[in-house]
Amino acid sequence: MDDIRLVEKTVNAAGVKIAARGVQVYYGETHAIKDVDVDIADRTVTAFIGPSGCGKSTFLRCLNRMNDTIPICRVEGKITIDGEDIYDKRVDPVQLRAKVGMVFQKPNPFPKSIYDNVAYGPKIHGLNRNKAELDEIVETSLRKAALWNEAKDRLSEPGTGLSGGQQQRLCIARAIATSPEVLLMDEPCSALDPIATAQVEELIDELRSQFSVVIVTHSMQQAARVSQRTAFFHLGNLVEYGETSQIFTNPSDPRTESYITGRIG
Amino acid sequence: MSISVLILIVLAIAVAGYVMARRRAMALTGGDRRKLHSLIGYYGQTVFLFASVPALLFLGAWLFVQPIVIESRVSSFITPADIPEGGSLDLVMSDVRRVAGGLDAVAAQDGLSEADLEAMRADFSNVRSRLASVGVALGSDVKPNVFEAAKVYRGALKTSRLAMVIAVIAASLAGLVLSYRRVSPEFRARNVFEGFLVALLIGASLVAVLTTFGIVGSLLFESIHFFQLYPARDFFFSLTWNPQFRGGSDLGIWPLLWGTLYVSFVALIFAVPVGMMIAIYLSEYASKRLRSVAKPAIEILAGIPTIVYGLFALITVGPFLRDYFAQPMGLGSSSSSVMTAGLVMGIMLIPFVSSLSDDIINAVPQSMRDGSFGLGATQSETVRQVILPAALPGIVGAILLAASRAIGETMIVVMGAGAAARLGLNPFEAMTTITVKIVSQLTGDTEFASPETLVAFALGMMLFIFTLGLNVIALVVVRKYREQYE
Repeated sequence: MDDIRLVEKTVNAAGVKIAARGVQVYYGETHAIKDVDVDIADRTVTAFIGPSGCGKSTFLRCLNRMNDTIPICRVEGKITIDGEDIYDKRVDPVQLRAKVGMVFQKPNPFPKSIYDNVAYGPKIHGLNRNKAELDEIVETSLRKAALWNEAKDRLSEPGTGLSGGQQQRLCIARAIATSPEVLLMDEPCSALDPIATAQVEELIDELRSQFSVVIVTHSMQQAARVSQRTAFFHLGNLVEYGETSQIFTNPSDPRTESYITGRIG
Repeated sequence: MSISVLILIVLAIAVAGYVMARRRAMALTGGDRRKLHSLIGYYGQTVFLFASVPALLFLGAWLFVQPIVIESRVSSFITPADIPEGGSLDLVMSDVRRVAGGLDAVAAQDGLSEADLEAMRADFSNVRSRLASVGVALGSDVKPNVFEAAKVYRGALKTSRLAMVIAVIAASLAGLVLSYRRVSPEFRARNVFEGFLVALLIGASLVAVLTTFGIVGSLLFESIHFFQLYPARDFFFSLTWNPQFRGGSDLGIWPLLWGTLYVSFVALIFAVPVGMMIAIYLSEYASKRLRSVAKPAIEILAGIPTIVYGLFALITVGPFLRDYFAQPMGLGSSSSSVMTAGLVMGIMLIPFVSSLSDDIINAVPQSMRDGSFGLGATQSETVRQVILPAALPGIVGAILLAASRAIGETMIVVMGAGAAARLGLNPFEAMTTITVKIVSQLTGDTEFASPETLVAFALGMMLFIFTLGLNVIALVVVRKYREQYE
């Protein structure tokens, strides 16, 4: 694994942001996630890796209850964010999703202007008092997503007219605009070229200072580059979870080692 | 020999060809069918097709051309003096045909020979009463020229029939022989058969295309005829519609156009919101099981014949609107009204709008919904702010298609809207549409020579241009929308 450069990253000792205990997910008859326990730290990048169909995306979608939109999906167990059970009956999934933003595999800007794409979340949640505040939210979000310089002169043009990498950064800006506490990313770079991937990875590293980022990725190099902690999923089980450097250099489970060295996957 | 017997003969030749070709193919390989290029059935089928299809097409072409040729020959016997006052050559020619048919019947009934018939003369024998005795009633005595023409017509018909039988059978046999001789183990019967099928399929699609051109051509031709008799300026700019069959009528299109647009507008006002809401419910909220039941159930509405909608308008909706809305509000006392026709037509259009919009909303990628839900939007916020804007061009296309249906609709407006050509705003008054007036100008005993009847073609042309335009716009809009996601 010489091609993976492991950068020494300090994991600051911020507390646990998300805690999952005994999570089971069923799609109809299929048992997709089996008894997963995990603690995701605040202000860190946590990567979920594993072969296709191992349940890492499914687990990610549990964290903002996106699985609720799939009728046959059933989630058991307990997931808390800041100690609050997100599957509690009193929790409104719609409110939760504003707090836990999500970026998808394929860039999916709405067929609206760049401005309206970013302003979408703040508008539906009523986060601004007036137009000037909305302008400000849009600008800061685009700045944080490193898209402001490219997009500031074309805010009224459709978001679908941007390049793939720009579209994905627009989607990140859109997710940031509702000031979430956690940002979930489901293979955010799999539809992007290497240059756009590098830009997005750089961005993820910057976002770490303000959000807790959870990223699902197929690329182990990417996991090694951007994350501080890594979880390895296999056949619905969480096999190993720990410091990224530890997982990649000295995995304790033979399955993890096989996957990282390319024998399974 | 009748046509059906001829067809049977051709088919028998073709079947014989099928059997012979199989035998020959088998014999040439010495019974080992692996040595053949194609499966043995292909050899038989190829010969069958070559023996039957060209001969039958030839037969069809002959039957199409034959009357044209014969009539042009026979009509030279008719002098202008034979054409009665106010009649035309066509009418005399139809007399000729009837007399010729009558002569056949007379010959069969009385056992007359060809020579006896030949000797018959219109000016000596009482042809009219003899023809009447076999059931051919004529309006007046048969003129000598007409009678001679009828005799020539019979003769020509007979010769032509005989020639046709010979030619068709010859064509069939030629096809058989030519294709049979090609049968050999190397003959690529499979590929030839394929090519033949492709040609047949192309031919079938040409029929539809050519028919369309034919219809448009005849509309255009008759419309030009109309504008020669009636000034186009009055047709397009006059505000009165008042046809008088004794002449001097006002044939302005505006009252009809206004009625058409008004009724269609009312129908769309009703159908579009309801249809859209159905589409949104079915595509975004309904469970899969409900959708699989509800969607076909709504589409049944589209299968109801429009005459049944018309009855519904005439018997139920019309009187209801008159008794509970129009009369209490003092807006009119007619049960046929723009409102009646519009409402019922709206019901008819609901499945068009809902079904098409449902498909279009479903075509919006799931990633749009995920993106919106992921930002914490509710379902209705997602529909209103993401799905509908994304689907809008397609929905506009669906509405335009529904509009072009509304404009061309006939039965509902005939029975629901009334027949009074009127330019007015009161929706509870009877008005009429282009389609209704086409029907009323053409029904009954009419001749296609006066502007009062020919106006129907001009109206039809306008309608065609209108709906064609709407369809083209709709298709362009829908196509543009499709490009967005693919």
